[in-house]
Amino acid sequence: MADKTCELFDAGHRACGGCGAALAARLVTKAAGPNTIVVSSTGCMEVFSTPYPETAWKVPWIHSLFENAAAVASGISASLAKQGRTEKVVVMAGDGATFDIGMISISGAFERGHDFTYICYDNEAYMNTGIQRSGATPYDASTTTSPAGSCSFGNKRPKKDMPQILAAHGAPYVATASIAYPADLMQKVEKAIATKGPSYIQLHAPCCTGWGFEGDQTIAIAKLAIETGLWVNYEMIDGKVTKAKKVVRKPVDEYLKTQKRFRHLYKPQRQDAEIAAIQAIADRNAERYGIDIKLPPKKD
Amino acid sequence: MCRTICPEGCVAETDETFVPDYQYCKGCGMCAAECPKDAITMIQEEK
Amino acid sequence: MIEGSHAVAEAVRNCRPQVVSAYPITPQTHIVEALADMVANCRLDAEYITVENELSALSACVGASAAGSRAYSATTSQGLALMFEVCFNAAGMRLPIVMSIANRAMGAPLSIWNDQQDSMSLRDAGWLQFYAEDNQEAADLHYLAYKVAEDPKIQLPAFVCFDGFILSHTYEPVDMITQEDADKFLPKFAPSERLDAADPVSFGMYATPDYYLEFRYEMDTALKQARDVIRNTGTEFGSLFGRDYSTMVEGYRLEDAETAIVTVGSLCGTVKDAIDEMRAEGKKVGLLKIRVFRPFPTEEVAKALAHVNRVAVLDKNISLGAKGAVALEVKDALYGSGIAVKDFVLGLGGRDVRKRNIREIVTQTENRQGDLFYGLRRELI
Repeated sequence: MADKTCELFDAGHRACGGCGAALAARLVTKAAGPNTIVVSSTGCMEVFSTPYPETAWKVPWIHSLFENAAAVASGISASLAKQGRTEKVVVMAGDGATFDIGMISISGAFERGHDFTYICYDNEAYMNTGIQRSGATPYDASTTTSPAGSCSFGNKRPKKDMPQILAAHGAPYVATASIAYPADLMQKVEKAIATKGPSYIQLHAPCCTGWGFEGDQTIAIAKLAIETGLWVNYEMIDGKVTKAKKVVRKPVDEYLKTQKRFRHLYKPQRQDAEIAAIQAIADRNAERYGIDIKLPPKKD
Repeated sequence: MCRTICPEGCVAETDETFVPDYQYCKGCGMCAAECPKDAITMIQEEK
Repeated sequence: MIEGSHAVAEAVRNCRPQVVSAYPITPQTHIVEALADMVANCRLDAEYITVENELSALSACVGASAAGSRAYSATTSQGLALMFEVCFNAAGMRLPIVMSIANRAMGAPLSIWNDQQDSMSLRDAGWLQFYAEDNQEAADLHYLAYKVAEDPKIQLPAFVCFDGFILSHTYEPVDMITQEDADKFLPKFAPSERLDAADPVSFGMYATPDYYLEFRYEMDTALKQARDVIRNTGTEFGSLFGRDYSTMVEGYRLEDAETAIVTVGSLCGTVKDAIDEMRAEGKKVGLLKIRVFRPFPTEEVAKALAHVNRVAVLDKNISLGAKGAVALEVKDALYGSGIAVKDFVLGLGGRDVRKRNIREIVTQTENRQGDLFYGLRRELI
């Protein structure tokens, strides 16, 4: 039983103050325990955690390239199997490395069914290179390659549904999680690691620098994402959604208003049509995953 | 809660309370924002 | 009598890789198929990963090697180009992966036939580069490559190159080493560091300008130290199996030659036959075969060619806009000697090179004639 008080992702890393991804790395390694080999893709987490000659990782760790973490993990998994070793293989990759450039290698690794856990820390853009849009960037978010301007409301496409895509590969366990609910996140990590075969967890890791909010609000904003239905925490066992976190839903305004990346929807004037479109996304999520808590009717 | 959600992992737990390690604290303030007892105050050290 | 691909597959099997990860591409397919067949019939105890592309093939080898397994891959041409960044990555992380390259031309235009552009274009990456003259060398060099690559002083990955179709798909008599004998030569893979929960380390970190140069220096030093390791390992191989691989270059009828031909790979065979013909006619011509291209045997080349009057380099590749890669290095080796070096780019895209072409090249070199591109079909231009 792993000692939950020891930090396998240690302090001294170079993340921004209030970094959601740093918290994610701490919680994931805590849940995984010391008998874990971590594979990182190029990205914020890899860069802020390993400036040679220092490393924040107290578990064996490897970074190869941007797009190949799943392929590297496949090789490690095969090697361990051949050597009869028990370490678990966990990939930690950002949304850029997962949704976009790493699409080929994650698909191959999941199709082949290697025994490993792939955790995507989703901060919804290519943060390390300066906040460019990714396939995970939400609709209307302003990034440097999907900026809001006089003829644009920002990112034109909704988030790619990676959990669904990987469930379609036959992954026995797929889940979404958030740093807003650390206990839930850690439980899901344990479950994913314990499941034989490829598991996928996509965890929401708000980025104060990239989204434009103060570093102390990271958890609060992660909670709002869930409470507005723009992020849903759920599990998929053998392709079927089993548990989704239920909420008393708040209007999307409460989430959008907190971040500079959505400021153009409110200033210089409120963009009713765009906000309605985002509300519709939240409503669809609520419908699809059944997250609305039905309140009892008010007594007169 | 502060110990759990600190991105640096620099809050230690004693029998009585929680103690931050100021060598590694970045002053992000997440602990203060999330403390269920409102027990943490952030004080700016310098301009 | 055995097909080149199968001779290579048997040699690889005897090296006991724990992880094989390769993507099929002409003309390497027979190798990966043979290895898959061995695994399916329990003749090879390895994890065989049917990756989805070459970039993932070498990436899986990176993971496996870092975790402590001897890893193997094979590719050529377009596949090698697709794993370009992984090649630099593997060398930079000092992982002694061995990869067979069944040399093939680069597209566009698409060509499945032989030349050496693919591996030559990766000569900067930090991999050892061995080139086989025939199927015997193609097989033998794999044992050598693993042993040299895994040497604690080296710890760099290695290409074993052999001309696609010309060697991979032809049948030649090959003296096959047994598993038992192979085990005497090649010990178990025992890296000094690996991914291991018992002793965690971090592989592949990022280096600021204050640290980067020294990493590259160490790699260059290791490559240059390989000549000593190759000498010792090649001698050991010779004493065990009767075929000496201690030298990085090999002369053929070179000792009293006035004209020297320098080349790499299967062309050496054709050149030797042409030399025998020319010698019978009284011409003093010899061959310097380069078997190890990285590290480049600068001193050995300079020494071997010091006495000749002129050199013709046969390049099955070209650094477009300049010259062939081998000629550029040979010129560097002979700098200051006053010996004329003429570069002939030929055989690209699998165009056949015959004895009569070699003879013509020698004549052209003697008369200080001839163009860079040998045998151009002017009617097509």
